[in-house]
Amino acid sequence: MLGEELLLKEYRIVFEKKGNMKYISHLDLNRCMVRAVRRSGLPAWYTEGFHPHLYLMFPLALSLGMESICETMDCRLTEEIPMQEIPEKLNAVFPDGLHAVRASKPVKQAQDITHAAYLLTLQNQPDLLKNFQDFIRQPAIFVQKRTKKGIQEINIRPMIQIQNISQTDCALCLHLLLPAGNHGSLNPNILTDAFENYVNQPIFIKNICRIKIFCENLEEFL
Amino acid sequence: MPKNKIEPLLLHVQKPSRYTGGEIGEVIKNKTEIDVRFAFCFPDIYDIGMSHLGMKILYALTNKRKNFWCERVFASWTDMEEIMRREHVLLYALESGDPIKDFDFIGFTLQYEMSYTNILNMLDLADVPIWQKDRGEQLMPLVVAGGPCVCNPEPLADFFDLFILGEGEEVNLELMDVYHAMKKIGASRSEFLKAAAQIEGIYVPSLYEMAYHKDGTVKSVQPKENAPAIIRKRVIKDMNQVYYPENLVIPFIEPVHDRVSVEILRGCIRGCRFCQAGFIYRPFREKSAEHIYQQGISLCENTGYDELSLSSLSTSDHSQIEEILDKLLTYTTDAHINLSLPSLRVDSFSKSVLDKITTVRKSGLTFAPEAGTQRLRDVINKNITEEEILQSCQIAFAGGYTTIKLYFMLGLPTETDEDIIGIADLAQKVVNLFYDKSNHVKGKLQVSISTATFVPKPFTPFEFEPQAEKNVIIRKQKILKEAVQSKKIKVSTHFTDVSLMEAVLARGDRRLCAVIYDAWKSGCRLDSWEECFDFSKWQTAFAKHDLCPAFYANRIRSYDEVMPWQHLDYLISRKFLIHENQKAHQAQPTPSCREHCSGCGANQCLGRSCF
Repeated sequence: MLGEELLLKEYRIVFEKKGNMKYISHLDLNRCMVRAVRRSGLPAWYTEGFHPHLYLMFPLALSLGMESICETMDCRLTEEIPMQEIPEKLNAVFPDGLHAVRASKPVKQAQDITHAAYLLTLQNQPDLLKNFQDFIRQPAIFVQKRTKKGIQEINIRPMIQIQNISQTDCALCLHLLLPAGNHGSLNPNILTDAFENYVNQPIFIKNICRIKIFCENLEEFL
Repeated sequence: MPKNKIEPLLLHVQKPSRYTGGEIGEVIKNKTEIDVRFAFCFPDIYDIGMSHLGMKILYALTNKRKNFWCERVFASWTDMEEIMRREHVLLYALESGDPIKDFDFIGFTLQYEMSYTNILNMLDLADVPIWQKDRGEQLMPLVVAGGPCVCNPEPLADFFDLFILGEGEEVNLELMDVYHAMKKIGASRSEFLKAAAQIEGIYVPSLYEMAYHKDGTVKSVQPKENAPAIIRKRVIKDMNQVYYPENLVIPFIEPVHDRVSVEILRGCIRGCRFCQAGFIYRPFREKSAEHIYQQGISLCENTGYDELSLSSLSTSDHSQIEEILDKLLTYTTDAHINLSLPSLRVDSFSKSVLDKITTVRKSGLTFAPEAGTQRLRDVINKNITEEEILQSCQIAFAGGYTTIKLYFMLGLPTETDEDIIGIADLAQKVVNLFYDKSNHVKGKLQVSISTATFVPKPFTPFEFEPQAEKNVIIRKQKILKEAVQSKKIKVSTHFTDVSLMEAVLARGDRRLCAVIYDAWKSGCRLDSWEECFDFSKWQTAFAKHDLCPAFYANRIRSYDEVMPWQHLDYLISRKFLIHENQKAHQAQPTPSCREHCSGCGANQCLGRSCF
């Protein structure tokens, strides 16, 4: 297909990765999706050249152990397919825990991604909320990050934007906005590790769920 | 998985989806509608077990029966085992999450000797009594096993209620039906075992008494309670009538082999004298090209896999191989499926076959000369010539392959230093061929010599032979490494202590049960993994029971010796094996079954000649 044709038949599929599926890595997800697309009967496009493979692009990897309700993958189809048919066909063959929400034509590109919003659910403990508030009130939070230059101390506080904190009997829910994408990212686990060090006790994470992906000016990645 | 107990632990282990279940293709049933529950236990970790074709076949076959439910169980890796013991989580089946001690059958597949301690470990983790005699008279759970090592299961005999010899597609279901009938009338374990012993192919070890001579060799194997004196393996007569799955459980994590496998034939016509598989899977039986094609397509469509592999001991020996490839290619090319053909013999490697294999990863081809000189190849009956090896390499090079792997063994019967140097010479000839300017081959060459240590196996002409001792093998490895001149040739060798253990367990007797138990008790498990294998623990276990590995591995066995597997019939006659052994020592080859029948005895079950 020529350049213009390729763009015409590009589709972005939004899907959820939850339940048992949170225990598979990004690479595993990639393989799983290739097979699912093949089973679905969708007319997927294969790359040309020496090693033809089913074209699937994931703009942002999700760490093993995290759920998400906003993952996307881009694929190309060799024919135009009605939008609502795409998630239907995929859901018919997806394993439990994967759910295709919708398909659309891609607007933004992977390199436009700047942030992601996460919902962190921590198991309640005595003083958990107070400890977190004290932790986050610090002007600086230093963590060790392994870079090409070796291990560096980085202040992650400026990267963390608290959207909301709520508490129930059994859990503390943190709605956070963190950098994500090619221009720099902060994995929520780094934050929870730093919090654990701060309180000097084990913290039990019930769940981490990515809930939205953003571009500049907090425009939703679509 | 038992969600409440396991889930909080999953993020603390490597590759948690080994333990979750929930894969596409998994079979979930309502246990209230089930009469017999079967826990299929692969005695190694998920990544290994999910590649195993036998499990896929028997899983699908059993689950096709509405009133049976077969679920999968694998060994936990060390990190998960530690957590399970600490949190008191019993070994469970992936589909239901139920502890396997509540199942009717706990069935293991004996694939490899170094997995034996995993069996004991899994029984222990399941809270099932390890020794058969401790399971009492209640009927369930029954601990059973099938698979290739069952041709000599004696080192495990005291841990199992029964063994299933040969091919399971018919006998497994027969066994479960008899079980169901007896369960309904409230039969006890021993009543059931007595009945099971009458089913062809079922071996109940507790109904046989072993007696030994003073020198440690077996004196006799005595059946009790009407058990048959000889147990004959089961054979599926018609490969075109036998069940084959249409669907597979698709793992999330990448197993060792991540593809659709279609079995194309059983048995082998070559008669290589070291090869147990080639003899115990006889007689040779092919599946028709049409069946192979239909099964391949159906599995690819249902699973979405993009690699299809034809599975057998020697794929090019299928009489219709070119037709099969042509037929499959009409489908695979358009469907973007890679066709892979492992187990290709060097002497049938042709350009036309190579052109049809469309594996994207043109990484390398493997040939198994097994011995470095024609003389030694004649001894082991690996009937390929140097010319054929070089010709095949040439075809491979011309096809764009630049990595060649050559498999050999060290310690073969009658082996001399000359034979070892022959390995290096052969590899060098392959290198020279690549760089011969008239061949116009491009790229960077890598020739790998991979040497295993010869392990004598039951039901082969070499079952009488000693394994070479450790210091002898080390010396041979040294000779080989020093004989290799070129930097383009890489030599890898197999760990000698593991080879010794394989040799002991392969031809071991029932007295080894106590050794395996003590080795496990002292911490041995996952012995096939380098990071876990601890030979010193095994040595201690042997010493504790006054048994010597050398007795089992390094001793020449006379043609008259009663072998521990004497009462098990795999159709290959003792007379044939002795004759072949004598020919080996004269360096006399035996032609393939297609060329000339050598009367091994395998055709008895067919009631006609094989060809």
